[in-house]
Amino acid sequence: MLAGFLRKNKLLSLVATIYIVLLITLPGKAIEAVQNSMYYVMEMLMIMPVVFILTSIIEGWIPKKAIISGFGEGSGIKGNILAFLLGSFSAGPIYAAFPVCKMLLAKGAGIANVVIVLSTWAVVKVPMLANEAKFLGPKFMATRWALTTVSIFIMAYIVAKQVKRKDMPMVEETAETGKGVRIAAECCAGCGVCAKLSPMIFTMSDGKARVILETPNPKQKQKAQATAERCPAKAIQVD
Amino acid sequence: MRLPKMDPFTLSLWVIALIALLFFLAKDRKRTLGSMQMTKGMMGGLLGELTGILFLIGLILTFVPPETIKAGLGQSNVVLASILAAVAGSVTLIPAFVAFPLVGSLVNVGASIVPAVAFLTTLTMVGLVTFPLEKREFGQKFALYRNGLSFVFALVIAWIMGVLK
Repeated sequence: MLAGFLRKNKLLSLVATIYIVLLITLPGKAIEAVQNSMYYVMEMLMIMPVVFILTSIIEGWIPKKAIISGFGEGSGIKGNILAFLLGSFSAGPIYAAFPVCKMLLAKGAGIANVVIVLSTWAVVKVPMLANEAKFLGPKFMATRWALTTVSIFIMAYIVAKQVKRKDMPMVEETAETGKGVRIAAECCAGCGVCAKLSPMIFTMSDGKARVILETPNPKQKQKAQATAERCPAKAIQVD
Repeated sequence: MRLPKMDPFTLSLWVIALIALLFFLAKDRKRTLGSMQMTKGMMGGLLGELTGILFLIGLILTFVPPETIKAGLGQSNVVLASILAAVAGSVTLIPAFVAFPLVGSLVNVGASIVPAVAFLTTLTMVGLVTFPLEKREFGQKFALYRNGLSFVFALVIAWIMGVLK
């Protein structure tokens, strides 16, 4: 239990150890360090509920499916804007965007749009902008956002000029269909939603989701499908 | 002890967020609560790292004198500091959510914003750790171009922000 906690929270454990050593050797410095930290702890507590609420609303109410179905090879500027919106209103780290982009490529989206989705997904996140403005100032945030947005569109243009579809690995249909439920471990963000929604099918171990019921009956399959749609990283595949 | 005050910007964000929350709760309570639960799971996973970073800031501010931070990350050797910061951002994979307070604290005690921007931008846009995965999914040429260009543009963005300031 303790070993698991230490492994999952390496940084926190290290910092806590330093504080304990300090408390014994230089208690004055330890108190000073806590006081210095408190300013940032308070700032975080002020902004975190806002980030939480905004992320929840975006996750629950932005019609991602409608955005994705607007993509196509020749959707031009409209496609670029959709790509930008999709990336901006998504949560999760950049690798969570990989499966989504694979799907877009398979649907005929252009390479420029894939670059736009990947980059905005990584950098421009609406709730994160609130967080950035809190710690570095609204002007800093707005300038960086504007410059990054321009850069992303220039990069998308350059990459699309240089990289063609033939340079990409074939977007193959998954060979093993009908195999049941699978999780792309490298995409899983460890949020635990699947294990909460379908504890019969999914479980959490070492901060990642795992399938415990690989060959579900049709009813369980339906349940798994519904759960897969709620996965923020789109890491669950049901077929 | 110096504590932050609620500034008008944060206050307005609170008002917007709360109004939006009430609106969507009224519209579909179950759906909104469901997505809040999912977000709780996602953000809950970050709490350990976040607490670690926040208390690490206190240690840095206590033991590293501001003059040292100014000398290392300040205006005097901004080019080298920015390139190193961009490299550091490329190899680390910590969520930006956790990086903002750390970078903000360094800027507050005199670090230049140019390396700060370089670090924040490569942190999210360039991924050395995720490069093999990106290469597998989209091919080597795509991954090289996207990451390489992102690195260069991060430095350009940082430089422009330094000039504008």
